[in-house]
Amino acid sequence: MSDETQDATAQGAAPSEGVAEKEGFAGYELDTAREPVVVGATALFVLVFPYVFARMPVVSGILQGYQGLATLMLIWGIFALGFDLLLGYTGLLSFGHAAFWGGSAYAAGVFSQFAAESLGFEAGPVIIVVVGTLFAVLLAWGLGFLSLRRGGIYFSILTLAFAQMMFYLSSAPLSGITGGENGFTAVTVGHLFGVFELESELPSVLGTLMGTWLYAFVGLMTVVSVAVAYRILNSPYGMVFRAIRENEQRTEFVGLNVWRYKLMSFVISGAFAGVAGSLFTIHGNYVPLQSLYWTESGEIVIMAVLGGAGSLFGPMLGAGIYLYFENIVSGVRDLTVPFTDIVLLQGFGEYWHLLLGVLFVLVVWFFPRGIWGLFQDLRNRVTGGDSAAETGGER
Amino acid sequence: MSLLADVLTVLLNGLQQGAIFALLAVGLSIILGTLKFVNFAHGALYVVGTYTGLLVAHEIALTSGKLQSWGFTSLGLDLGFFAALVVVPLFVFVVGLGMERFVARPFYDRPDTDQILVTFGLAIVVQELFRILFGSNSLPFDQPAWAAGPIALPVVGNFSQWRLYVIAITAVLVLVVYALVEYTDFGLVVRAGTRDAEMVRLLGIKITRPYIVVFGIGAALAGVAGVVGGPLNVVNPTVGTDILVPAFLTVVIGGVGSIVGAVIGGVIFGLTTATLVAVAPAWSQIGLYAIAAVILLTRPQGILGNEEVAP
Repeated sequence: MSDETQDATAQGAAPSEGVAEKEGFAGYELDTAREPVVVGATALFVLVFPYVFARMPVVSGILQGYQGLATLMLIWGIFALGFDLLLGYTGLLSFGHAAFWGGSAYAAGVFSQFAAESLGFEAGPVIIVVVGTLFAVLLAWGLGFLSLRRGGIYFSILTLAFAQMMFYLSSAPLSGITGGENGFTAVTVGHLFGVFELESELPSVLGTLMGTWLYAFVGLMTVVSVAVAYRILNSPYGMVFRAIRENEQRTEFVGLNVWRYKLMSFVISGAFAGVAGSLFTIHGNYVPLQSLYWTESGEIVIMAVLGGAGSLFGPMLGAGIYLYFENIVSGVRDLTVPFTDIVLLQGFGEYWHLLLGVLFVLVVWFFPRGIWGLFQDLRNRVTGGDSAAETGGER
Repeated sequence: MSLLADVLTVLLNGLQQGAIFALLAVGLSIILGTLKFVNFAHGALYVVGTYTGLLVAHEIALTSGKLQSWGFTSLGLDLGFFAALVVVPLFVFVVGLGMERFVARPFYDRPDTDQILVTFGLAIVVQELFRILFGSNSLPFDQPAWAAGPIALPVVGNFSQWRLYVIAITAVLVLVVYALVEYTDFGLVVRAGTRDAEMVRLLGIKITRPYIVVFGIGAALAGVAGVVGGPLNVVNPTVGTDILVPAFLTVVIGGVGSIVGAVIGGVIFGLTTATLVAVAPAWSQIGLYAIAAVILLTRPQGILGNEEVAP
């Protein structure tokens, strides 16, 4: 990766003197200076989130959160983060990311079974994530190579077609390996670093804050993912992604190899999906066949756009909101006026998906920068400053 | 004898499946070709068509959903299939007009991705509305009495009557739309608009009205697909999302904007699926996507598409 980054710097810097302004690279300096803040804030959030969400008095009572959902939100958050690299920054709408999510989930599961049954050891979470991610990267390389030959809606449809092929492959012809309709159940996950049971509680204060080792592991991966994504996006390499989004032709004319950057963006995005998919297997000890279906690709699209495509944290927020609706709001029986028993709407939980759909349409229609973009606008109005560039959220 | 009969049966099955694909694809294709609008809610129009058709043609017993909890144990006009074939296209045509005016028009000037996103969201909203009203159970859609059961064909042997009717109805409808686009003044404006909308406007022709009608026709075709396909498929809210992907692929491999292309694409998909179902059932769905991928990669504009029309 570092080779390519340097290469990109060399390629990107030379023509920029003539064509682009210096501004972009001055921004780069500024953004790296903010990197510890961004990563630190993420780490802090990850540290206290399960406590606030699932155990803190009053707050968790209102939110109705639980530990497992907190873990799941971070996992989908990683997926959304990677997806946004492609949609929000490079401007490519893939409708086939279920292939990388489900594919890596299956790869992780199948590998853990292989290790337990044929190699005679219980694969730890780290190696499982490595294997799943490698699978996703290779797959993304292949599918990206084919899909990126076409732009616009054709790209969306090609990715969709390839992902559906994966779905039908694992549903019937490969059902001997994948378990077909029933999903993959033979997941065997060993201890973290060979020592810590994933479901066991962390020691002392950490246990109160974060709960289990599983969450700690997922949390660590989240922080690493945010750091990596932030570094990529604010490097000259990531600048090229944005340039492609803004004007592909002009980027080409400047002398950059657009095709290669698009492919790399696709592969990196697939890698994030791979990390998330493998974690999903570890978290649930199960891979549903549904994880490859195209509606799953649709879900990640909704998450990213709802939260705010083109910002670092927006899609993660979107993932949280989506999962909150799917798991908590769907369980609400009657909508009441807060703190009273007056029922406004019976069977409110049924409407969760409809509500999300309506919310999504509204966001696409009126707030293309998503909920995160709304927050930024609000903050700008209060402070009077222009902060869009800080998070790379200009769109 | 038996081999020939088998081959012909597969052929007819393929044509029938291709007919459903083609009905959806023709509508989708003329909308995409003429209006340059990517409609991911086309499957939702199919759902609207299939439910409306069911309710017009039959009276059904509801077992779940809000309508049932509101006291409707059975619902439907029970007017028979012909009524459904008349009412549904008209109804979905009107739905299509509304959709063009209030959803598509504000998005003509926005990027393709926004069009995909907003119609995808709309598809989810429609699907959820039907799920809440009618429940997520599949509803039975009986074939009309006059077309139920098999018919003895020469050589082929017994073959489902209804499937033959599906092929015939599709053929008639597609021919009507083709004639409308190729041989009428209305069609002339539409085709000219496909080539160069701005030029047509400059010549003083109001192009918004043909546009909205094209959208309505496309929607109506999807609605008819819902009616004729209903008795062959299941009727439930998710059928729209299931059928959308093959329909889109049909358009793309046939060539955007081409009616003949959409029919050819539909027939190719139908025959592939039917053949694989007979030969290697496990691979039946994969073949469809593999063919789509190969065609898209080797001939990106589709079989009958021309590059300048493709967005």
